[in-house]
Amino acid sequence: MKKLTAIITGLLLIMASALPAAAQKALVKGTVSDPDGQPVTGALVCQEGTPGNYSTTDLDGHYELSVPAGAALKVICMGFKEQIAEIGGRSVVDIILALDTSILDESVVVGYGRVKKSDLTGSIASVKTEQLINTPSNSVEGLLQGRVAGVQVINASQDPGSGSTVRIRGNSSLNGSNAPLVVVDGFPYGDAGNLSQINPADIISMEVLKDASASAIYGSRGANGVILITTRKAGKNVTRVSVRQQTTVSQTTSELDIWRDPVLMAICANEGNVNGGIAPKYIGETDANGVYYPSINELLTTWDSYTEWDKLVLREAPISDNTTVTVQSTNAGTFFTLSANYFKDNGIYIEDDYTKYGCNFAVEHKVWDFLKLKASANITQNRRHNNNGLAYNRNPIFPVYDENGEYFLYSNQDYYHPLALTEFQKNDKTGTGLLSYVGFDFTPTSWLTVTGQLNYRHNESIQDIYYPKKYSLRGTNNNGMGVISNAKDDNLVGEIFANVDKSFGKHHLGAMIGYSFETYESRSSELAGVDFVNESLGNQNLAAGNAEKYQISNGLSATRMISGMARFNYSWDDRFLATATFRTDGSSKFGDNNKFAFFPSGAVSWKLHNEELLKGVRQLDQLKLRLSYGVSGNQGISPYQTLDRYGQHKYWYNGGWQTVIGPGYVSGYTGQSGIYKLWSGISNKSLKWESTAQLDAGVDLSMFGNRFNVTADWYVKRTTDLLRERNIAPSSGYDKMWVNDGEILNTGVELTVDGILYSDRDWKVGTSVVLSHNRNRVVSLGNSIEAGLNKDPNTGMEFEFYGNQLEQFRGYPNILGIGQPMYAFYGYKVDGMVQSLGDGLSSGLMGDDAEPGEFRYVDLNKDGTIDEDDRCIIGDPNPDLTASLGFDINWKRLDFNVFLYGVFGNDVLNTKRFGNPSNNPLRWTPDNPTDYYPRLNATRQTRMSDWWIEDGSFVRVGNLTLGYTQPLSRTDSGRKIRFYVNASNLYTFTAFKGYDPEVGLNGIYSGGYPRLRKWTIGIDFNF
Amino acid sequence: MAKMNNIRLTVMAAAALVAALGVSSCSLREDPYGFYSGDNFYTTEADARSALLYMYDAITYIEYSRNIVFIGDMNTDEIHPKGDATASNKDLDGWRLNNLKTNTSLGNFFKYSYITINRANAIIANVPKMSMDQKLKDQYVGEATFMRAYSYFNLARNFGRVPIHTEPVTSLDQTAASLPASLDEMWKLIISDLESACSLLDYFDKPLTGRADLAAAQGLLAKAYIYLASAKEHGTPFYKDMALDVDDYYRKAGEWAAKVVANPEQKTYGFDPDLLHIYDVQYPDGPEHLFIMSMDRSGKEEGQFSKISKMYIPYIAGGTVYLRNQSSSALEPTHDGFSEYQTSIAFYDSFESGDLRRDWLIVSEVYDADGNVVAVYPGKLSYPFCRKYIDPFFENEKTSTKPYLMRYSDILLVYAEAVGNTPEGYAAVNKVRERAGLEPLPAGLNIADFRNRVIQERKYELAFEGNICYDLRRTNSIHTQVTTAREQALSAEDVVFYPIPSIETDLNPNIR
Repeated sequence: MKKLTAIITGLLLIMASALPAAAQKALVKGTVSDPDGQPVTGALVCQEGTPGNYSTTDLDGHYELSVPAGAALKVICMGFKEQIAEIGGRSVVDIILALDTSILDESVVVGYGRVKKSDLTGSIASVKTEQLINTPSNSVEGLLQGRVAGVQVINASQDPGSGSTVRIRGNSSLNGSNAPLVVVDGFPYGDAGNLSQINPADIISMEVLKDASASAIYGSRGANGVILITTRKAGKNVTRVSVRQQTTVSQTTSELDIWRDPVLMAICANEGNVNGGIAPKYIGETDANGVYYPSINELLTTWDSYTEWDKLVLREAPISDNTTVTVQSTNAGTFFTLSANYFKDNGIYIEDDYTKYGCNFAVEHKVWDFLKLKASANITQNRRHNNNGLAYNRNPIFPVYDENGEYFLYSNQDYYHPLALTEFQKNDKTGTGLLSYVGFDFTPTSWLTVTGQLNYRHNESIQDIYYPKKYSLRGTNNNGMGVISNAKDDNLVGEIFANVDKSFGKHHLGAMIGYSFETYESRSSELAGVDFVNESLGNQNLAAGNAEKYQISNGLSATRMISGMARFNYSWDDRFLATATFRTDGSSKFGDNNKFAFFPSGAVSWKLHNEELLKGVRQLDQLKLRLSYGVSGNQGISPYQTLDRYGQHKYWYNGGWQTVIGPGYVSGYTGQSGIYKLWSGISNKSLKWESTAQLDAGVDLSMFGNRFNVTADWYVKRTTDLLRERNIAPSSGYDKMWVNDGEILNTGVELTVDGILYSDRDWKVGTSVVLSHNRNRVVSLGNSIEAGLNKDPNTGMEFEFYGNQLEQFRGYPNILGIGQPMYAFYGYKVDGMVQSLGDGLSSGLMGDDAEPGEFRYVDLNKDGTIDEDDRCIIGDPNPDLTASLGFDINWKRLDFNVFLYGVFGNDVLNTKRFGNPSNNPLRWTPDNPTDYYPRLNATRQTRMSDWWIEDGSFVRVGNLTLGYTQPLSRTDSGRKIRFYVNASNLYTFTAFKGYDPEVGLNGIYSGGYPRLRKWTIGIDFNF
Repeated sequence: MAKMNNIRLTVMAAAALVAALGVSSCSLREDPYGFYSGDNFYTTEADARSALLYMYDAITYIEYSRNIVFIGDMNTDEIHPKGDATASNKDLDGWRLNNLKTNTSLGNFFKYSYITINRANAIIANVPKMSMDQKLKDQYVGEATFMRAYSYFNLARNFGRVPIHTEPVTSLDQTAASLPASLDEMWKLIISDLESACSLLDYFDKPLTGRADLAAAQGLLAKAYIYLASAKEHGTPFYKDMALDVDDYYRKAGEWAAKVVANPEQKTYGFDPDLLHIYDVQYPDGPEHLFIMSMDRSGKEEGQFSKISKMYIPYIAGGTVYLRNQSSSALEPTHDGFSEYQTSIAFYDSFESGDLRRDWLIVSEVYDADGNVVAVYPGKLSYPFCRKYIDPFFENEKTSTKPYLMRYSDILLVYAEAVGNTPEGYAAVNKVRERAGLEPLPAGLNIADFRNRVIQERKYELAFEGNICYDLRRTNSIHTQVTTAREQALSAEDVVFYPIPSIETDLNPNIR
């Protein structure tokens, strides 16, 4: 016993010598509270320097901890600043935590540098991706919907691997791209829309540059705004492995619009044929193609062959999978991260899917204190097995197979058998992408950093297509057609820039000066073989096709750009801020007379909260006014458009087809069914970028310890020198040439409000509201004769048709009209239905159009006849307002998030408003002389009218997440496991009659399939 | 510390070097890839030949190849469009003057004439600068000069004065050419181009389908002279004020025509005694064809192959029908057609009886493969149709039928008209009549009557070959002889020229 006592005493002595204070430990207790005096629960109170010695505060904010004399306490709690409290011999130490305002001190990535968030002078929005990635997605842009004021995201397509349409502050180009530039870790990646190369889970921050002061630093590519994406992490001094697993099940949100009742279908079909003056089909006879159509009586009694095509063609509940594994490790000098991603998205159609494998590796190493080297490689491979667009609405009386066991076709031009196409048609695409960089940060003195970076991107894809002889249009025309398409592009960007940051008394000066060069080359080739003897190989052996009919094409386009840029930031007394940026771009795409473009911008800002007058207002954390103006560009020109260009053709001479070459090439087609060629080829040495000048005024307000934040902006964005083709007098031998002419104006306001509504030790309720309003107007389309503009006979408005023709209306639904928003709808106005022949004739209609049950159009010019001169603007697909409302609720370890997204005041052209199972039965008949639906008429030549236009406003419960987080370590808050359930597209409130009103910019709804509600179960495991 | 500084300097120097390399490695000059341009073309003889054929290719495009023929026929009493034809054809047929400025057929005719001219101008400007065989150079430039003249000849006959381009257009400031001051100036260019083509060209050893040689240039020059001579002689508006001597121009027309039809050195072309052989799709290189369009049924797009056959043939049953070769009695298959260019019954009835050009070349009976009659006119066949464009080897819609741009017989009749009621004149016209199975013209006609009879002969000989309208134009008789013009009481001034298309006048400030 004595021996034992001696040993323990000895050990204690050794310990005492090692930890001299341990021997004199004293119990310290107290309360931790927030600035308002409310107790803070769950705060970690530890001995400073000895994190292993800790305690946490209880429900009343109390803690107890034994600490050696002279030690200090460190209090850590989310949402508050870390605080160190000296004990100073006290036994009760109450601690008041300060709110964490680091949100304002955070630095924000801007082009070629970082700026403290509170010092921003331009309109830049930061996006936290943490919440976004609860919904699995192939690319991050689709998740941005409603998150940033002024950023419009349209997810019109839900097909696997599909992208989104992204617009910042409206459309400003007719022929160039309208998508913002995406910059990934300093690399100008390209148009936003489908950034599948980057796994959203790898992104740590996104900044959206909206005004010219922010985006003009990207010069000739900044006009559509810029999205900066940062994927690297400067981690803590730990090694961490995280596993994210998401499994998603989709279901349709509305009923399929298909015939469930063949009798009603047949009645409607017969009625339509009879009204259209052709023989009814369902009369119990065999038609010219040998297909028997039962009579209605037969359908009611003896007919028993029905096919539920939707069950055969659509997946009931497609399942998708998204897995990411990340390993990160940091020590004093080196940071490295490695992540791997598997993403599989199954479409609603059978055998329609998309698979992506990704791997991302990044390393940073501090060689010396003043030199850091960086490198990364990001490799992805994606495979798309495309089987979408199958006819799930096929006639239910058609069987799948005919009596010989072959696929049943209703005519030899039946190219729509969904199962035959699934079996025999092939459309697979495999893409591989590499994104890599090497770079360095060189900091010779505290106020200077030189950054150099070399980025390289490589993408390639191969597409395999086969059109079978029997079941597809192209296959039938060509007796089988196999295609292999190859595309590859390489993009190299080198940049070097220096940042200076220095204070002199009340003056603070920041400057950046940089240089970049870029080369881009894309190549493509396409091989097609047709006329196959035996098609069992599909496109595997194109040489087996007819040797005289191989089709070959290839292309290359190469561009080079060199740029110099500079930015100067100046602030005085932390009250007045000014920024000026300059960029010069020289691009090979520009004409010889305009090789270099110059883009300046300037901004001023006034931090009102630092004025003496307001310094006393305790609740006010920030009140900042911003004003900026600048010019940025859009390089919408394709390469080689400024050169003279010859054409080539085949001419029959001397018994063979000779390749003939000379001035003028076919650049387009016109006329009925597009058989008349349009000729181009004159060089325009003065062709240049489109210019966007933007004025932005904004205010940033933060109050109550940054618990309430408001950002509001107003802007005017004027784009001039629009790239467009003008007509030339045909005596020149040409029709068209590219010029800069025309103007588009976007004006708008944006408001973002976020705040913490309530918080206590268990609860935290936050909310955010984002509102955007943009008005788009075509100011000029250039010289009306040179542009070949039409003139509205009633208003004198000059316009041109825009976009694509719709077969249904035999014309273009959208126009570009002077004074109108882009994509405005143009057509007739409907005033109910014709109720009698006399009514029809007196309404100015003729022939079949005057029959009862037809559309009665408004005779706008009152000339007694309905003709093209009675058309006018009948709708605007651009929304008046987009808005979102989000709530974040945390209760203990549970988190709950709901996100509503709404679009208001946009018109949608519902091409399925009539002629479909859901609305055909509502038709006009003599017994149902409605004014709301026309009669069925199989041969009607439908005119584009406002009858087809509906209000596309909607509010969507876009996202709902419920999560639970279990910490795995009491000391390392990064180690945790989170389980969550996420629902996206949960419910949509809308008056729109089709499946879903979220359609492309042109506002044309063409059916497709219902919006998918996606249920995701996810686990994030970090250890 | 010093070492640290050295490292810093080294790093800085390296960075500067990278930047400098970046600057120097980036030239902003754009080199065309995958297409030809003025920079990389006209280097080899093959380039020149390819450019030459590209010029001829311009006349084969669908928008032009049909127009080049039917704009000489549709506006007369020879053919009419079908009931539901396009507005463009109906406006031409009906002489609806208000619509002609925006007529698509005329617009395309105008546009493609200039596309041809621009391609010709590029050859005329570039080929002389190339180093290649002088003889070949002369030939290519000569052919280009011929095609320029041919295009202006077509434009001048239809539109009068038109913008003149004699240089290739390569920039916007060249795209607003003005009109020549007078009709004299307009034709001066055509005649001088043809004279220059005649001095540069030689006869081919044998006819080359789709290209023109000295005979075509001489023939066209004869046509130009006789056009002006007869137009002035008949008091046609505008032409009557031209400063030219009618007799001198008739004489010149005769001289140049003689170089084709009465010239022992010209051995390439000649009179084809076999009427059906002229129009045999297998023999575009027959002796009659001074200039013929090149098309082949193996082409991929219309223009490369021809569907002109379907314009003339009526719709019968949507399948293959058979025509009787009236010379050999054999049955020849063809597809049926679109009924677009319908033979006027009055014209059909106006042939002299026994004229083989009606009996053999206008079909009034079609058969099935076994020789059973399928349709006859009058009856199920809606009109008797022209069989100058028939391809028995057709592949579905595709045929090798070709517009006849200039025939030996055309120049033979120009010769007859030019030399008038001389023995040579009689011999020339009677040769054509004899082939058609007709008696010689009565002897002793005075020169005016003789010339009228020759022009009558041209109407039947060159029917459906885009000719009649121009003979009516130059004899100042559109307003008297074309029913639709007469019925509207149009004046000679109304019909002498088509208005220049609005696509030109809207965009060309110099002729607005």
